[in-house]
Amino acid sequence: MQNSLLIGLSRQVALEREMDVIANNIANINTTAFKADGTLFEEYVGPTARDGDLPPTDRRVSFVRDRATWIDLSQGAVERTGNPLDVAINGKGFLAVQTPNGERYTRNGALQINDKGELVTTEGYQVLGDGGPITFQPTDRDIMISADGTVSVREGNARAESLRGKLRLVNFTNPGQLQKDGSSLFAPPAGVTPDPASNTSLAQGAIEKSNVSAVLQVTRMIEVTRSYANVAAMLAQQSDMQSNAINKLADVPA
Amino acid sequence: MRALNTAATGMMAQELNVQVISNNIANMRTTGYKRQRAEFQDLLYDHVTRVGTQTSSQGNMLPAGIELGSGVKPVGTPRLMTQGDLTQTGKDYDLAIRGDGFFKILLPDGTFAYTRDGSFQLDSQGRLVTAQGNLVQPAITIPQTATSVSINSQGQVSVTLPGSTTQNQVGQLQLSSFINKAGLESVGDNLYVETPASGPPRDGTPSLDGFGNLQQGYLEQANVEAVSEISALIAAQRAYEMNAKVITAADQMLSATSNLMR
Repeated sequence: MQNSLLIGLSRQVALEREMDVIANNIANINTTAFKADGTLFEEYVGPTARDGDLPPTDRRVSFVRDRATWIDLSQGAVERTGNPLDVAINGKGFLAVQTPNGERYTRNGALQINDKGELVTTEGYQVLGDGGPITFQPTDRDIMISADGTVSVREGNARAESLRGKLRLVNFTNPGQLQKDGSSLFAPPAGVTPDPASNTSLAQGAIEKSNVSAVLQVTRMIEVTRSYANVAAMLAQQSDMQSNAINKLADVPA
Repeated sequence: MRALNTAATGMMAQELNVQVISNNIANMRTTGYKRQRAEFQDLLYDHVTRVGTQTSSQGNMLPAGIELGSGVKPVGTPRLMTQGDLTQTGKDYDLAIRGDGFFKILLPDGTFAYTRDGSFQLDSQGRLVTAQGNLVQPAITIPQTATSVSINSQGQVSVTLPGSTTQNQVGQLQLSSFINKAGLESVGDNLYVETPASGPPRDGTPSLDGFGNLQQGYLEQANVEAVSEISALIAAQRAYEMNAKVITAADQMLSATSNLMR
């Protein structure tokens, strides 16, 4: 009889976690190059229920358990900004970024230049080119980033273009293994090294918006709150049943 | 419940976004104004179960873990230092920079500030000053008797004196540039000051060494585009509303729980 309470509880815990994931997606609806998270649930047959000593009616119960969150790595909408230091990635590639914790990967192409003239992320981490960080000279102007990541500038009053490096674009064979590291960064699991990106191009003067779909998240949110309330109502009925049973059975006529 | 706090970070972020957008719109007609953009990033993740965790001694591993995000944070409001449109004013001391560079201004406290706003005037001693009366560097004095003033694209200031047909050069304007222009600190009055992030200024002559050239009788307009600001405002407002809905939903779930107890 306690089983129904515990099953209801397992559902509520799972729903609460899904709500947390939805809240994080909606909070990041305007975050550059944010990738939405999804949740996966699985049936969990409890060890007690599997026990052969249990009455057959109790053996059929199973709980719900949240198994994983997955990252929706689909392309976000590309918005034109006109800023020469903004790049949007078309395709499955990532930009390589040097952080104090090692190399990380990002799709956030809102780049800046630091006081040393290096190309950095908004957080100030160096964006890596094929030969290390990309550095500009004080006289550089008209920064051009081509579709394959080649960075060229015009130096001083020169008409010809000078090369400043090539942005390192990488791919992962199994991008589902990537872990979110906050600050729009992704970390690969230990031992996984990225490959040079294929089928990836850059668009200068644009950024990739968040790929969170507002409609999807809001409908999911309604579903979660409703099922949560339903389970709560079911639990309340159960508890009524129990208190009734106790009252009735304990009602010994004097 | 984590969702409450997460949605609160979302609401705060969108509030800041609206603040930045409204400042851009308010400065749509400010000479030399450069628009700002609020940049956001996701906050820390709680890795409840890590991806790649071994699930058996046979080497099976989790293909995906449980990661719970904790919301969004604003990381910066960088200025977009792109060229604004030039409008003709016909005034002698209106200067627009076409290309890279800032005018250097001497503040009353002896420090320097930098600006793209070239709507200059003369003070009582004939010196070139900004609209607030701060001296333009290097100081240029226009003789009281000058009948006409011309400033060429290289910043040479020449005057015609009465009784003379030739022009006399009275000064040379200079520009300053920074390796990281977005790292300058705004101090209001269309002025920026140097910071550790911007790097030291590099002074030079207009239209040489990558500096822009000067246009007399023109002013640089703000680089704010009304359409993109308004669409950003709509997006920010809707995102704010949606985060508020998350708080309502989380609240409903909590009240469903608390109603269980009778």
